[in-house]
Amino acid sequence: MSDITKETETSKEDLQRLEKALEFSNTMKTFNLNKNNLKVKTQNLLSHSTSGGSFTVDQSLISFMNFVVSSGKTEITLLDKNDIPVYIEDTEKFLDDISSLYFEVVNDYYNEYQKLKSSRKIEKVLEI
Amino acid sequence: MSRGIIIFAQNNEYINYAEQACACAGYARRSLSLFDEICLITNTETLAPNETLINEYFDRVIISDNFQPENIRLFKDTTDKLEYAPFKNMSRSEVYKLSPYDETLVIDADYFIMNDILDQVWNSDNDVMINSKYRDISGRHQENIEYIDNFSIPMYWATVFYFKKSDFAENLFTLISHIKYNYKYYYYLYNCSGNLYRNDFAFSMALHILNGSVAFDVPSLPINYLNNSFDLDDIYRVNSHNDVIMYCADAENVSSHILSRFKDMDLHIMNKKAIGRFIDDLLSHGEKV
Repeated sequence: MSDITKETETSKEDLQRLEKALEFSNTMKTFNLNKNNLKVKTQNLLSHSTSGGSFTVDQSLISFMNFVVSSGKTEITLLDKNDIPVYIEDTEKFLDDISSLYFEVVNDYYNEYQKLKSSRKIEKVLEI
Repeated sequence: MSRGIIIFAQNNEYINYAEQACACAGYARRSLSLFDEICLITNTETLAPNETLINEYFDRVIISDNFQPENIRLFKDTTDKLEYAPFKNMSRSEVYKLSPYDETLVIDADYFIMNDILDQVWNSDNDVMINSKYRDISGRHQENIEYIDNFSIPMYWATVFYFKKSDFAENLFTLISHIKYNYKYYYYLYNCSGNLYRNDFAFSMALHILNGSVAFDVPSLPINYLNNSFDLDDIYRVNSHNDVIMYCADAENVSSHILSRFKDMDLHIMNKKAIGRFIDDLLSHGEKV
């Protein structure tokens, strides 16, 4: 009889663990979905257009432009995200614009990501 | 150069597209600033009962009463409801002739603009810009380029596109019109699927033909991906002009949903009934003329 009781208790415990794991898995699903959507939002916002072309703003573009400006080049032709050559007549302003955009967008991403990580309760995180 | 945003809307018995177009225009006006006008292209039947509302959200209305052959579509409202209804989407091929603007941004009536990235289209060197890359906000579709068929060409989404008055754009829309009137032929040539005439297919085929019927790249819009909410998703709440919480259908069980918040992200909300349920909120958060 005590074996059956023990078994029942163990299986109740297992069930509770399982429920907890599933609840955690649902929370993780929600967290991952929102994290991915945040990432895509950031990718979409890191876009800068000038002189008829569109550029994806990333660390390599900023590094390259930093090199261009440091080399004293005030104008340059660059390939944009559609591989179309675009003439940039003020390299310093372009570098300024893309750097500011990068810092602003990535900083926002950081803040929203921290908010997302801050709580297991999704109602709190999504401010429902 | 004049710059306009154009939205198409033609009602059927199931969906009030005019209302949704007004909400869409309100969001566009709220988020973008470098355009001159927002214009609705519609038919007399849709305009008449909605004229007051339409005049609140649109700077201009163009009537196009061209006959449209029957095009029946399955409308889904999550997994709960399914309904067949006419889908009046065939006027889009006429947009080059109808647009009074030098530069035009065309958006679907269910595409809600919630940031200013699309303001970067103006003054582009490109004659046409359209995206093939998309994202499913619920993560169900893992690929981010769809093909008309496994052995066919990549599909370009006619949800949002830009064109300027130019030879390339004029020829493109001439071809799109030709494909529309000879759809059966091109449907089989490109191995299309489904019974519906889709603008996405017609645009993709026209772009392919115009580029010499070989593999090609078309300049994309400044946004990397279209954020698509498919019709198994639903709206949980509309917080503001740039903040919406969606119920995203779970990849493992589409009748369950996961909540996700979208702030400062354009959304293509394909569940038209969901938009209808929240139409008052969407209209109130948009900006009127």
